[in-house]
Amino acid sequence: MKTKKIVSLILSSMLAVSSLAACSTGTPAGSGDPSGSDTPAVTGDGKEIVDFTMFAAMAGKEKNEGNDIMELIAEKTGVRVKETWLTGQSAGEAIGSIIASGKLPDLIDGGDGSVTLYENGLLVAWDDYLEKYPNLKEMYTEEEWDKFRMDDGHIYWANVFGNSYDHNTATGHNGEAFWIQVRVLEWANYPKIQTLDEYFKLLEDYAAANPELPDGTPVIPYTCLCEDWKYYCLENAPMFLDGYPNDGCVIVNIDEGMDKPKVVDYNTTDTAKMYFKKLNEEYAKGAIDPDFATQTYDEYIAKLSTGRVLGLCDQYWDFAYNIMGPFASPLEATDGTTFRLDELGCDYVPLGLTAKPGMSQQWHSYDDELNQSSGCAVTTSCKDPDLAFAFLNALLDQDIHDLRFWGIEGVDYLVDDQGLYYRTEEMRENWKSDSYKAKHTCEYSYCPQWAGMSKDGINRMQPAEQPSEFIEGLAAPLRKCFEAYGVGTYSEFLGSEIVVNAPWYPLWSWSNNISSDTPGGIAWKKMGETKHLWLPTVVMSNDFESDWASYQAAYAECDPQAFLDEAQAEVNKRLETAKSYGWTAPV
Amino acid sequence: MENSITKSKRTKEIDINKPKFTVKEFKRQWILVAISAVYVVYGIIFYYLPLVGWIMAFQNFVYAKGLTGSKWVGLQKFKFLFSDKTFLMVIRNTFAMGVLNLVFSTIVAIIFAILLNEVKNRFFKKSIQTISYLPHFLSWIIVVAIVHDALTSTGIINEILTSLGILKAPYAFLGDPKLFWGIVTFSHLWKETGWNAIIYLAAITSIDPCLYESASIDGAGRFQKMRYVTLPGLRPTIMILLLMNMGNVLNAGFELQYLLGNGLVQNVSRTIDIYILDWALDARNLDYSLGTAAGIFKTVVSMTFIVVSNYIAKKKGDERLF
Amino acid sequence: MADIQGVSYEKIKHKRRMATEDIIFTIFNTIFLVLFAVITLYPVLNTLAYSFNDGNDAVRGHIYLLPRKWSLKSYHEIFFERPGIRVGAKITVLRTILGTITSLAANALLSFILSRKKFLFKSGLSLFWIITMYASGGMIPVLILFRYLHLTSSFWVYIIPGMVSAFNVMVMRTYMAGIPDSLEEAAQLEGAGYMRVFWSIITPLCKPVYATIALFVAVYHWNSWFDAMLYNRFDPQYTTLQYELMKLLDSVSASTGATSGASMTAANANTITPITVRAAATIATMAPIIALYPFLQRYFVTGLTIGGVKE
Repeated sequence: MKTKKIVSLILSSMLAVSSLAACSTGTPAGSGDPSGSDTPAVTGDGKEIVDFTMFAAMAGKEKNEGNDIMELIAEKTGVRVKETWLTGQSAGEAIGSIIASGKLPDLIDGGDGSVTLYENGLLVAWDDYLEKYPNLKEMYTEEEWDKFRMDDGHIYWANVFGNSYDHNTATGHNGEAFWIQVRVLEWANYPKIQTLDEYFKLLEDYAAANPELPDGTPVIPYTCLCEDWKYYCLENAPMFLDGYPNDGCVIVNIDEGMDKPKVVDYNTTDTAKMYFKKLNEEYAKGAIDPDFATQTYDEYIAKLSTGRVLGLCDQYWDFAYNIMGPFASPLEATDGTTFRLDELGCDYVPLGLTAKPGMSQQWHSYDDELNQSSGCAVTTSCKDPDLAFAFLNALLDQDIHDLRFWGIEGVDYLVDDQGLYYRTEEMRENWKSDSYKAKHTCEYSYCPQWAGMSKDGINRMQPAEQPSEFIEGLAAPLRKCFEAYGVGTYSEFLGSEIVVNAPWYPLWSWSNNISSDTPGGIAWKKMGETKHLWLPTVVMSNDFESDWASYQAAYAECDPQAFLDEAQAEVNKRLETAKSYGWTAPV
Repeated sequence: MENSITKSKRTKEIDINKPKFTVKEFKRQWILVAISAVYVVYGIIFYYLPLVGWIMAFQNFVYAKGLTGSKWVGLQKFKFLFSDKTFLMVIRNTFAMGVLNLVFSTIVAIIFAILLNEVKNRFFKKSIQTISYLPHFLSWIIVVAIVHDALTSTGIINEILTSLGILKAPYAFLGDPKLFWGIVTFSHLWKETGWNAIIYLAAITSIDPCLYESASIDGAGRFQKMRYVTLPGLRPTIMILLLMNMGNVLNAGFELQYLLGNGLVQNVSRTIDIYILDWALDARNLDYSLGTAAGIFKTVVSMTFIVVSNYIAKKKGDERLF
Repeated sequence: MADIQGVSYEKIKHKRRMATEDIIFTIFNTIFLVLFAVITLYPVLNTLAYSFNDGNDAVRGHIYLLPRKWSLKSYHEIFFERPGIRVGAKITVLRTILGTITSLAANALLSFILSRKKFLFKSGLSLFWIITMYASGGMIPVLILFRYLHLTSSFWVYIIPGMVSAFNVMVMRTYMAGIPDSLEEAAQLEGAGYMRVFWSIITPLCKPVYATIALFVAVYHWNSWFDAMLYNRFDPQYTTLQYELMKLLDSVSASTGATSGASMTAANANTITPITVRAAATIATMAPIIALYPFLQRYFVTGLTIGGVKE
């Protein structure tokens, strides 16, 4: 009786909600109220400033209300944007819940969820606005814009990163490498290191000769992060060691010519076995951090921050920004004197190692890498899409771009008589401080922006790329090291082969976005899980050969061929697109 | 002795008081019925209406198409789950960690509450209680960082064990799948024992002091009083909490395992919630349907546990949920 | 006579044995509890030490009970450099007070009904609420529902949906069921209605369990941040303290994978929120709720004396 009643209650309520859900599909998500500021300010010409919201499905730091540069930009453009970031949710959960809540921000970078937003019809097409706003149009060539087109033929977002005005002026090496502390190279009198054997030999020798830092911390010759998706530090070196560029998921072999690319799995090559065998030997010798397989990112950074790790394999951005502060702060040595790690030569330089000595390698990519899989978008909930695009366009005006990345003249940078921008030590320190950035700087870092040369032809769009700023920022041992090798930048130091990017490059822009509803996608996920378990296992193994065989067997069970086939299809597709724009294989 | 008397008394009461549905009785308690109705309406709106979403488990749900427009796929999502070896593995992990946590956290919290209750000095008692529940307010991020720190090759545990000669070389505790469940259970106990004991401490206050007095007169020592007065007094609370937590066995968690796990222990560390996060809440392929199917599975199992254990409790004349 | 003497002699011997047993027990019990307290206090002290340490120095780890390099910067940062914190604190205090009162009242009334042994729909209504503990429609249907109830983008989403909690109701019901029926019957003979019984008889006897549940609910409200994010993501005027702090704590999230590393620049690369700021944020939110506890603890103790009166 009672159960019957409950069942009928549930059923009737189900009906009620399904009709609600049906309604929801009919009406587009309602436009949200303008939120935020209690005091609507006005622009210079008396217009009211509009407040937009923006969500980026990434981790990030919010700006304070009344942020100095945000207000300046608002006065110039009539728009103020409140940025919100991912908190305690995965990108998928966040995008899903934002869609369901029906309250979308005005601007969004959906990250991995960008396609989901598009599929739900929540984004505004860029096509018409591109014609209207030249700064936006200028960002990419026709061919590049076409790569952003979705299957309905429209453009819904533009990736904002790694896009150079005029030419790529990167001074750093933002990508992956085997890094080594400059003091190790200095100690060995700046030798030429080309292979894994030479690299680990040097690390071991140095550690044997200098087992401790001045403050008594014991050194660790080599560590390697393998937490979650950041296990690329352990996993993809075989690709680079064989001399291939960072396609991220596979090697694209072009032995038969650029127009006949062939996808090869780097997990099963001889080089892969050689690399892991080498790590296994080094682990047995105690040259590799015993906690490498279980350390968290925080622990990894803590370890690096003490200066005790001599070598590692990672991408620059993943570790470098986090250890700058600790490296520059004074420490007390056991003899009571103070020292600084950067002055001691603990800064890292990248080595372009290869499987055999003398091979050419492509650890560094000189060209821009176009990632069309996500980017800045305007949502259908936006109060005034035209204003939003006008704002994004204005952000690319050189004066506003300078405000975003250089700051306020006289406060954040100075200009010399040649018109060159420069910063004082204090200004540089300010721009490293979180609290200063929260109340003063406003990069709108997920909105359209440039790298490369400034439109004034003198400066760089980004301070980090300004050659004078770059050299100023280097500690003495690092400068000395660069001089010893006769190079001026990280990328010169690495000495990668200078190649024009292949039409399919970088393939990670595809594999990062592969969804698990195809056999290849499922295989990709299972391969990842298998490697997470087995790679540290073979490194720590007492019986490398048999564990390697078990690993390869477990790996084969994931059906990697399904993934490789899809990768091959993507390479072919990209090649065809390039051909349709007149690309021909270089002879 | 005491115990058996109270128990038989309780069983009798239930029999006598079993309400019979009569118009007169209904009229007598109309106010209770009216208020209940309000609660039922509230419950339907906030708890039962969203269950309509369960329909998604039988569809390929796409938000833009809604519940009415999405394609029906029958039991396909359930088939995917139960044919995936990984899903069966995460069920095992979730269940094992859930049961370990249930058993140990209940026992340890009860022991702690009883021992604390024996303290005569009020200041000492209050201080210990306040301290014991403090870790509850730390986030798992912080607790895991400390656990991690203690268990690394240079951590305090390895240092103690090697200096005592129990271990020859530092042991990689965090990379050993055999130890993972133990570490998880211990972390839970560490963080939550004091907090879990609060309910028991409150329940102890409802025990009639006369019972202690008469036990003293009968010559019972402290252990006997704990055994024959305090513990039986706590019995209803223990039973209710056990019954309720029985249904939570499959909610063994996400954060702790996620933060503590790594590639080497992934086969024992991943729980159902982590699986859902990996496969259903992947931004590249949001699969609400799969997530909902897993949720329905959890609910069905939980309700089965609850109904069965409630039935057993009823048979044995114990406190029960419904 | 001899008989009586014999008895009293036995009694004395027994008492003496009990006394030694008592002392041994007390000693061991004290040692055990102190040990337990030390172990549980450690993470808190460790967090406290980090919160007072210099940020750059703390990244290097190995801080245990005392800061290595004193600094108040972390507290300064969370209190004075994040305006969101102040709005969040206001909302959190408001929802904690309002939420605890409404929730306690709602739970107590329902528990009262469910603990009446003669209530006609006792097991049906119990089952109805128990199901709510385990069956959930998931995040998406709830969001859609709240949207149509106009609970998103509002303060009331913190108060109304979570008002009744089956778990708390069951705990209270169990406690109330332990109160002898004779009291209720006596009152009813004198003509008191159910509401009168609830207010004048049951409630005063339930102070310990009310205090417990109030603590649970208050802590729940105080610590809540997920609802603020889910339902009021783009409404900064309804942010909560913990949500603001979570933004600080969680700015490095493991699951933000696929952003290409190559596109990271100094401007958007995530520097980890200093562990010291995380620690300071934790301590700052713990403090008020810890202060609440001794206040509630009174009821746990007085509960004993009230219990004594009840038969």
